[in-house]
Amino acid sequence: MIFAVTGQDLLTFLVTGLTLGGIYSLSALGLVVVYRATGVLNFAQGAIGAVAALTLANEFLEKDRPAILGYLAAIVIALGLSLFYGLVIAPRLAHRDPVVRAMGALGFGLSILGFAGWRWTARVQKLSLPTDDVRFRIADVNVTLTRTIVVVLAVLVTVAITAFLTRTRVGLSMRALANDRELSSMIGVDVRRAETTAWLLGGAIAGVSGVLFGATKQLDAASLTFLVIPAIAAAVVGQLRSLWWTLAGGMLIGVIESELTNFRSISPYKDLTQLAVGAGVILLLQRSRSVSFEGAQR
Amino acid sequence: MLWFAVLMGLALFAAACGGDDDGGDSADGGDGGESASGGDTPCLVSGDEATGDPIKVGSIQSETGPDDFSSAGQGAKAFFECVNANGGIDGRPIEYLIEDDQWNPEVAGQSAAKLVNDEEVVAMVGSSSFVECGVNSPLYESEGVIAVYGTGVPRECFFSKNISATNAGPRISSFGVAEYMVSEYGAESLVCISQNIPNTGEWVCTGLETWGESVGVSVRTILHDPANPDFISIVQDAVSDSPDGIIVMEPAGLAVPILAVAEEQDLGDAAHWGGPTSLYLDGFPETIGDYWNGRFDVQIELTEIGADTPDNQAWLQTMETYGETGDPIDTFSQGGWLSAKIFTDTLLSMDGDITRDAVFDAVQGISGYPSDLNCGDWYFGPGDRHNSNHAGRVVTINDAGEYELVEDCKEYADPELADILELEASEGLGG
Repeated sequence: MIFAVTGQDLLTFLVTGLTLGGIYSLSALGLVVVYRATGVLNFAQGAIGAVAALTLANEFLEKDRPAILGYLAAIVIALGLSLFYGLVIAPRLAHRDPVVRAMGALGFGLSILGFAGWRWTARVQKLSLPTDDVRFRIADVNVTLTRTIVVVLAVLVTVAITAFLTRTRVGLSMRALANDRELSSMIGVDVRRAETTAWLLGGAIAGVSGVLFGATKQLDAASLTFLVIPAIAAAVVGQLRSLWWTLAGGMLIGVIESELTNFRSISPYKDLTQLAVGAGVILLLQRSRSVSFEGAQR
Repeated sequence: MLWFAVLMGLALFAAACGGDDDGGDSADGGDGGESASGGDTPCLVSGDEATGDPIKVGSIQSETGPDDFSSAGQGAKAFFECVNANGGIDGRPIEYLIEDDQWNPEVAGQSAAKLVNDEEVVAMVGSSSFVECGVNSPLYESEGVIAVYGTGVPRECFFSKNISATNAGPRISSFGVAEYMVSEYGAESLVCISQNIPNTGEWVCTGLETWGESVGVSVRTILHDPANPDFISIVQDAVSDSPDGIIVMEPAGLAVPILAVAEEQDLGDAAHWGGPTSLYLDGFPETIGDYWNGRFDVQIELTEIGADTPDNQAWLQTMETYGETGDPIDTFSQGGWLSAKIFTDTLLSMDGDITRDAVFDAVQGISGYPSDLNCGDWYFGPGDRHNSNHAGRVVTINDAGEYELVEDCKEYADPELADILELEASEGLGG
């Protein structure tokens, strides 16, 4: 069966894989941006995006309120939730172990999930965006503008945040924090400002990606919340530091998962790709350095 | 930061303004009891609100997780609310205790232990779970608890001594739509898409494969992780062999994105598309959109949602009066409602104390319970496993975007039913 796969099959699933990888990459980039500056693995990111998407769908589109206000509200709510956690809860856990900080974010995410379940009774619904109706034909696959935006946005976010980190003073502070938090604060780096910026960026990515994923995946609070899990595998590829490697990791996982569909004997196990890639990178890095909740260490 | 605070406040205000119409439902939902007191009610009893010693009844639902599958519990809850508001069981209300297993076997086990051991429920009624039957069946047997199930999904719900569901189950539902595709469209090749949950997706789709071999229909199975967002690959894989029919064996929450991707790829005419009862619910055709009008068939395990028959109208009336805003109006709600009705009828017919043992004997003794919701009579009976509902109907989403009956009650040919049919014949069970 393996040898029956044609070049066209590989090309078709390369395209679908890239659209899937865009989702993983964008989620992972949000995690890495926040983690670098704050040391918090933000497990709440998916839940924040879910609330953004559900607010847009339930409070605006379904009630025929102006869509533009809905998009604005989705982003503002995501920014607000991210900032709330970053400025109110995270500082109280700042001196605890990285695992405790991550669990704090997970608890916040589960609280948001509970709120979403209470506020919007779970029911079958679909989030349709105007960009869903614009399609391109690539390698026998119809790719919607929405999916294209996800992939392009992942690349743009990588480029823009890389430029921000290297060319602005706040970016310099964030890079300093990523290298050594204790030393950075001792030499006068404005930790508060850098962290606030990181939480804002993380919130914006969560809000935008939540809306896009709600339209391309499934408009469901739980499934959007736990999209953070494959994102972690991509973030591990970037060692929780490198935005470009994180982007590549997400794309790689998406493409491998999708291409495995061609091989029917192993296709049912393609979901293990995330675990295999994440674990493989960690094992590889053990040879010279380690990746843990505290990030890559030499 | 002032600008941000203002924007945030405006957004939250807008959001808060929108939900007042559905956010204030009372959990007890018994407002209809006062007006129904003493008159005709849809729930077997009439009288004043029951205030006696409660009869504890348990239920486990897969509510939070990949999809909300608690419709049966809502149907049963509405029925018991009606019973309680109209006299209860000789003045005793039903205390209906619902636990959410979160699609998690460990939580399902803890939930059952709480209900059976701590709350000491007399029976389980109206449960609806993807994981619970397999985990808790041994407990129910060891503790002598009988379960009139609302929506059985995995294999264990139909292979347990103490569990009998009012629905037919996904496997038989898949046979309904597959047999329809073969008889109506002459389909010779089918693809079955389902989830890789143990004893659910594989059990369903391999059943079709076995049946297909005996009737000359090729059936291919595609199983996927319900949490994986790669729906494009699933759909591309499904059409890769140009099958005649594609059966989407999914809960509605997962079927929607799969069908959205199929529409995105314009594959509606690449094969005949269909699905099980889980895709038969109020609002589903609107949710998936006009693209699927005239292109999607659904097997239904109980009667049509709008059927003008006594039990179906009573179910609708119960949900209208005692249900909560947003409760799904679907087959599984019907199933939950029916399980509560059967159970209530059984309690009303009992003499003596209502104990777990007495309830067990009374429910097990049901050899034929007629209802227009079912094609045949429901029964529990003495078997080591139960699947009394093994017939159903098929509807299609017509050009107007409405469900339309295209095949009335039909017995399905699942070879796994041989022992059930044999027992029915020897014991005189069913209708």
